[in-house]
Amino acid sequence: MEPLFPSPAQAITPRIRTAVLCLGVGFLVLLLRLWYLQILEGDRYFTLSTNNRLRVRPVEAPRGFILDRNGEILVENRPTFDLYATPEDVINTKEVAATLAEILGVSPGEIEARLHEGRERPYQPLLLRKDLDEGMMVAVEERRLDLPGISLHVRPVRAYPIGGAAANLLGYVSEVNQTQLAREEYQDFRPGENIGQAGVERRFDAFIRGIDGGEQVEVDARGRALRLVSRIEPHSGANVYLTIDKRIQEAAETAFAGKKGAVVAMNPTTGEILAMVSRPSYDPNLFAQRLTGEEWEKLATDRMHPMENRAFQAQYPPGSIFKLMVAIAGLESGALTPETKFNCPEHFYLGTAKFDDWKKGGFGVLDLKSAITHSANVYFYQAGLRVGIDPIVRTAKAFGLGESPGLGLGDEVKGNLPNPQPRRGGQPAWTPGNTVISSIGQGPVVTSPMQLLGMVSAIANGGTIYRPWVVKKITSLSGEILDEYEPEAVRQVAVKPETLAFIRQAMLGVVNEGTGARAKVPGILIAGKTGTAQVVKKGDEKGHAALKDHGWFVSFAPVDNPQIAVVVLVENGGFGGLVAAPVAKAVYEAAFGARQPFPHPGVGTDEAKEPDIED
Amino acid sequence: MFDRRLATHFDWWFAATILGMAFLGILTIYSANTMAVSTFRRTLYLRQMMWVGVGIVALVAACLVSYRTLARFAYVIFGLGVVLLVVVLLIGKAGLGAHRWIRIGGFAFQPSEFAKLGLVLFLARYFDDHREKLREPRTMLLPATLTGLCMLLVLKQPDLGTALLLAFIALSIMLMLGLHWRYLIPFAAGGAAVAPVLWMVLKDYQRRRILVFLNPNLDPLGAGYHIAQSKIAVGSGGAFGKGWLAASQSQLNFLPLNHTDFIFAVLAEQWGFLGCLVVLLAYFYLITKGLQIAQDCTDLFAALLAAGISAMLAVQVLINTAMVLGMMPVVGIPLPLLSYGGSSFLVTMLCLGLLLNIHMRRFMY
Repeated sequence: MEPLFPSPAQAITPRIRTAVLCLGVGFLVLLLRLWYLQILEGDRYFTLSTNNRLRVRPVEAPRGFILDRNGEILVENRPTFDLYATPEDVINTKEVAATLAEILGVSPGEIEARLHEGRERPYQPLLLRKDLDEGMMVAVEERRLDLPGISLHVRPVRAYPIGGAAANLLGYVSEVNQTQLAREEYQDFRPGENIGQAGVERRFDAFIRGIDGGEQVEVDARGRALRLVSRIEPHSGANVYLTIDKRIQEAAETAFAGKKGAVVAMNPTTGEILAMVSRPSYDPNLFAQRLTGEEWEKLATDRMHPMENRAFQAQYPPGSIFKLMVAIAGLESGALTPETKFNCPEHFYLGTAKFDDWKKGGFGVLDLKSAITHSANVYFYQAGLRVGIDPIVRTAKAFGLGESPGLGLGDEVKGNLPNPQPRRGGQPAWTPGNTVISSIGQGPVVTSPMQLLGMVSAIANGGTIYRPWVVKKITSLSGEILDEYEPEAVRQVAVKPETLAFIRQAMLGVVNEGTGARAKVPGILIAGKTGTAQVVKKGDEKGHAALKDHGWFVSFAPVDNPQIAVVVLVENGGFGGLVAAPVAKAVYEAAFGARQPFPHPGVGTDEAKEPDIED
Repeated sequence: MFDRRLATHFDWWFAATILGMAFLGILTIYSANTMAVSTFRRTLYLRQMMWVGVGIVALVAACLVSYRTLARFAYVIFGLGVVLLVVVLLIGKAGLGAHRWIRIGGFAFQPSEFAKLGLVLFLARYFDDHREKLREPRTMLLPATLTGLCMLLVLKQPDLGTALLLAFIALSIMLMLGLHWRYLIPFAAGGAAVAPVLWMVLKDYQRRRILVFLNPNLDPLGAGYHIAQSKIAVGSGGAFGKGWLAASQSQLNFLPLNHTDFIFAVLAEQWGFLGCLVVLLAYFYLITKGLQIAQDCTDLFAALLAAGISAMLAVQVLINTAMVLGMMPVVGIPLPLLSYGGSSFLVTMLCLGLLLNIHMRRFMY
């Protein structure tokens, strides 16, 4: 067939010929190599393969440390000693077993049986007991002469100088489990290899774990090590510096002792998490040793969910905290002004439905600021109806409620906001009554502590939502910075500066003369809001602890130059002003330390008169 | 619309060879993982079977549309490939760790695989458009820059093997066009002069870091162990191999990555020299056929596309097998058609489909 046009491609024909030639040479070289390996040397390699002469013993790399923002150690390693036997070298099995049984406090039969198992591979060290305690170690060392073939191997495990503080945040380390081994991400893990399983340890595992080293040993057909071919030292993992401040963390832990719930402190102008407490928690040391199946079962199925980080993995009705959203929505739409007044008796009637205030006898006529200060429910029932549910939900969404905060440490709950859209198929339609209960943060409104912290931080900083973050930087052992993190503004909430200024003043009133008075710290202007979330009562009202309300307190300080924002949630603790506010106070005292010389005029002077703190 | 001549020009031997290799791949992946601890590993062959199915569809699809139509979208496809390379870096940054995959549902795909094909398409179209100015050095500026950009993006992942592969693809296409050898001299000389000096200056741990950089999946015990084990596996296969499922060396986890980059070692242990000979002849047939298709073309775009694809397959086969046979440092390049991996398999099938496409339509243009 004649080409339609003179072919420009003909120029490449000689090059194609060269290419085929090169290819031919390449394949010929490969075939020659194969001939050499498989035909000429085939027998030698066959013997090598049946003997498996090269053995590899992994040497576990020590994990990197986890430190606080000032370089204080939060998680480090300690050496632990494992007891091994090399069966071939154990000369008198009976005697050795008896001696070991005495030291370890087990029956001689058990040890003998274990040693017998090892007879199959007599040169392979056999693990007898992990993590000996000090007494056992000393005993083994002392009786070394009676224990031929018995040796102690040192291995690094996690140690926690701050005890169980921030356990849910830091996470824990344990052996990769069967479920994980079945998944693609873990296909290159050896069974028994350690891995970060939660929190920071898990999220930053790739950095923290380091690179295992190994010993390559040539062995004979019986498994006896002939020579060490090479040894590669393990590379320690990288150190992770958190945004956490150990002092604040410890103060929060102490103040929260015996309570259930969460405390989180954050820098509202950057999103740096300064402290994060979740209770009940677990003892991370349990994982450093070998956790028995029973112990794990107990933790995993505990009704109190100690493995859950309540700061962002649990959600509760925000209660009166949500009134701030109603107020902001109203001020922005013009439905409310600072001067808007409502009469606030003890009960509010919507048709025949009755809604109560928490204060017996009611408040009388209140304006918006006093309504926030005293957390008057009846005011916000009426305000909510006037503002309407849609603007309230829009505002709440803008302030980050109903979305994951983006901390990145495992699953985060999204909470829930009212959905007043027309319902389909059998669902009851949205009613004004729904709006009324939503306005005080009950009913369909649920949030996580982390979400409320983001919200109050935005109020403090002028409307910017920051992504919360816990890791400041990651450095190698030699101090080289591997990764560094910076504040990330998720969005700017469209809200008038006057609106936020008003809210901040009202929140200052909450602490100075309102429901949050127990958070007051002399000399620091703290703005706060209390909340008490009703727990759905189940049948009887005998006042069981499980039925008590959840107490909230969100706050930030100093009001005109915010440096720290704090959320406290006490599960089933009762009134927020009573149980949650004092915890925040302890956090502020730790954060501002001794550098508060003068009491601010008009603040913290009238200790005698303590206003109502229930809401 | 459908021309009967298309069917008569379809190369059935070529297609049959491809299918045979894909089937061999599944068998080998199955046998390589029967003893694996990870249950994910043990069921890999099922996933590969699915990928073979998807790949066959891709191959047929790549045959159906005329390559002329494809030429019109070449720039768009390339642009998309570059965007995906950027996306994978951004996602990787957010997710820490490996920066090579984009996950969709339960599957991960590797944009760098698609970038290879995108680059070939782009270069073929570009040089076809600028055929009158081929002798001007200026014409080479844009393709060189864009190839460099792709290489940088892939290097960031980090994946040095694929980056070098991209360079080689671009280079071979330019050479096909008649790029004078003397343009290569400064690069080759510069590289050859700097590399050994650099290697000498580096400290031991830095060298190891480079080796790990070459292939992050490499076990930390170093390339030495890996290659030693690989050679034992290959050599112990002897003339006729140990037989299917009887390859103790590669099954017993002495050989990491045995289902991906080191699959040739499993094959060699099971089927011996004879099996390797057959497999290598099959590759030789596929690649030379591709080059012949390029030679027979009267259309510059098609000729460059076919030549580029053939070069890409050739380099992958040569590098991968040379690495398994202990003649090259370990780099993370899979063996086309045989290695486990959806992206790699899919792209190889698309490439082979394009070769068939060009071959079928050689009478048209």
